[in-house]
Order: sequence, then structure tokens, then C-alpha cells
Amino acid sequence: MKSMANNDDKIICRCEDITESEVLEAIEKGAATADEVKRLTRAGMGHCQGRTCRRLVNQILTRKLGQNPEDQKAVTQRSPLQPISLKILADS
Amino acid sequence: MSKSADVIIIGGGIVGAATGYYLAQAGYKVRLIEKGYLCAGSTGRCIGGIRQQFTSEGSIKLMLESVRHFSNMKEELGIDVHWYPGGYLFLAHSPEKKEAFLANIAVQQSFGLKDVRWVDAYEAGQVAPGLNIDGLLGGSYCPSDGQAYPFAVVNGYAEKIKSLGGRINTFTEVTAILQGGGRVQGVKTAEGPEYHAAIVINAAGPWAKEIGMMAGISVPVEPERHEALITEGVEYLNIPMLVDYRTDGGYFQQFRHNGQFIGCYSPVPSVPGHSTDSTHEFLHEMPKRMLKLVPALAPVKVIRQWSGSYENTPDGNPILDRSPLEGFYVIAGMCGHGFMLGPAIGRMAADFIKKGAKEPPIAEFALERDYSSQEAMK
Repeated sequence: MKSMANNDDKIICRCEDITESEVLEAIEKGAATADEVKRLTRAGMGHCQGRTCRRLVNQILTRKLGQNPEDQKAVTQRSPLQPISLKILADS
Repeated sequence: MSKSADVIIIGGGIVGAATGYYLAQAGYKVRLIEKGYLCAGSTGRCIGGIRQQFTSEGSIKLMLESVRHFSNMKEELGIDVHWYPGGYLFLAHSPEKKEAFLANIAVQQSFGLKDVRWVDAYEAGQVAPGLNIDGLLGGSYCPSDGQAYPFAVVNGYAEKIKSLGGRINTFTEVTAILQGGGRVQGVKTAEGPEYHAAIVINAAGPWAKEIGMMAGISVPVEPERHEALITEGVEYLNIPMLVDYRTDGGYFQQFRHNGQFIGCYSPVPSVPGHSTDSTHEFLHEMPKRMLKLVPALAPVKVIRQWSGSYENTPDGNPILDRSPLEGFYVIAGMCGHGFMLGPAIGRMAADFIKKGAKEPPIAEFALERDYSSQEAMK
């Protein structure tokens, strides 16, 4: 989905390098929830698991689709809270 | 907006999406109904492995076909699905396993899987750099097995369905199967609307039994929770998918496109039900099993764990058949192999429906069959 990116574009997901245009493109394709944006763009699938971008994605959905933030379903949070090496997990 | 279609497909995973794509291509007006987002069920939770190493003729031939579809998908769907033939290596740590794999290899080759072969422990270490070969007798290795990215595949099919005039209703839950005149007539949804079609396909994966019950059709599919984890992306190490069938084994691979390791194991005892919770036990146990096989992965960091449902039939084979209710089809029970089987299953299901054939294309996949035999490479 890199086609729409340009120099004025904003990075929304720093871990997966996903820009605002790419999120907007996913919404154009019919994504109406953070879950769908995530699965179309990979925003929130990287190292930090959406710590920054999940709010930004919901803000864009609010702006584009007029959603009430209180009605927006959050994407599922899962362990681990931060990246942990296989060795530490295996030894503990 | 017209609420009628030629075909209603219940389920927006790989099976529903692929079947919908092939039916739309054949000129059918398709409506795909999914209760969550596309891929919200099993497909989006799978680890993306694609293998042809099965033991039944039906599955081997379907997988030979699926691999052809995956390898051509970038052109066909116009989207990079990250297909990569990184291979699968099944490990044998006991003479019994070795013997079984040797027998399987002969069967697989006889049905056209030409590049599967036995590798001894030394060669296993060559094709899987970093593999711990202590106690290893060898393995069943097929370099043309591979991987792809489930979300891209399903969304690619979905975009095609839409561009061919079909419709996709996400966040729409089927609550009843409409019947009349001795046949299926459509579906009713929780959101209110009824949708009408002369053909309704149950591709609901782990919920196939519940959807079947709405039609009065017994579908012997039981969900079973399987957990998975994924790591950060690291340099590609050229290790095939490793499959260790020991009770303390597991299976994992590295995605070629972004370097993430992804893996899971089959819990003993199994965990029946629709739960997609994850456990601390898995988060600590899976790394143990991965490091036992490839110790050099020790510093690689896990970023997420999750779980999803296998949709099991009693004998480990899928169901692809019509049902006693005229016009109501069942394509489900993929037993953990839905993503890999999906493209070929979808093509075969579309042909079956198009022909209006009475008998299922693969007898082993009949809805009403003797479920007591077993797929050995489950």
C-alpha cells in the first residue's frame, strides 16, 4: 500500500512504518474498525503492539466516519506487555 | 439495494472467501456474510503455513493444487500475499516416526508430490541451519511447501468478489436459515434483514456445527483452542517450517517477508470450545520448545501471543458436500488446515456447486461418512 505515501504524509504506526494515507486507503476499502485497519495495513502489529497508533487510528476513524469514540471497540490487547526474549520466557 | 443473491456464503475466512471468489468468477451473484471482520475467526489466527505433506489422496492432491494457486496469487489477485516456498521439515526422533514418515513419503510421491524426501539428521541440519540434531534420526522434507500471509489472501479474494459484483456483509450475524418448499431459501440476520438465495453455504469454520443446527443439519465439527505466538522480525535464517510431533514438540516458521518467527503447539490434553484466551503456560512453554530445536533463537523477542480455533472433524478430514436440505452446502471442518487448503477447496466447492453434482468430489469429505479413520499427519 506504499503507493499513496508522499513526503507530507504522517507516520501513524512507527513500528510497521504505516502512514496516514495507508490508513485512509484501508478506510476507503471499507475498514470501519481499528481491527480491520490493523489487518489491512499492519498498523499495530509491530514491536510496540499499537501503543501509539491505536489511539491515532481511532482518531482517524472518528474524523473520517463520524464515529463516537465511546462506541469504538479497542483491538484486543495480549501478552507480553513488552517484548521479551525467548530465553527469558523459557527460563522463567 | 437488492437483498437477493444466487449464493449466500456464511463465513468470511479463507474457505468462504475462496469459494466466493470462484463462484463469482463463474458468474454467480455472491453475498458473503461474516459476523465479525474478515478473518476474525480461525483464518486470521493461523500461523500461515502451507504444506502438501498429507497422507490421504484427497488432501495431497488438493494441496498440490493450493500451492499452484498460492504461487500464482500475486498475479491473480493483484496483491502480494507473501507466498514463499520455504519448505516444511517434519522431524523424526524415533524409529517409529521414521518408519511412518518413510511410508508417508512413498504415498505422497505416488500422488504427485515429487520433491518430498527423507533427509538424515546431517542433511536436516543443512536444510535447517541451526537445528539441534541431538537425538534426531532425520526428517520428511518438502522444499516446495511454504507460507503466505492470511490477511492478504482473504482480503485479496474479498476485493475480487466485490469487483465481480458480489457483496460482503461484515459484522452481520446469521441467526436462522430460511427454508421453504423443501429447500433452503436464505438467511435471517441478527441485524434484522433477511437475505434470499437458492444456495446457502455453511463456511463458518469453528461455528459450522451451530450454523448447521439452524438448518437442522448435523455437522460434526468441534472447535479446539490452539495458542500461538509471534516474535519480532530478525534476519531471515532460511529455516523451513519445523514440525515436531512429540508431545513436547511444536511447529514454527519464520516469515520470509518480515523475519518474524511464528509458532504454536497442539495442547495435550486438547482444549475444546470457542475460547480464544491465551495462557501464561503457553507463553513460557512454547519458547522452551522452540529453543530446544533452534537454540540460537534465544535472544529473539516475543511480541504477542494469542489463540484461535482448530475446527476438527472426528477423522481429521474436511467436509465438502451438499446436505439433506436442498441448496444447503457444508464446507467446513478443515482441522487446522483451512488456510492452506482454502484456495483449492474453494475452487473445488465452486465446481461442485456449479455442476449441481449429487456426490461430493472427494468421497472422504462426504458429510455423512464413517468418521472412524484418521488422517495421520494431522
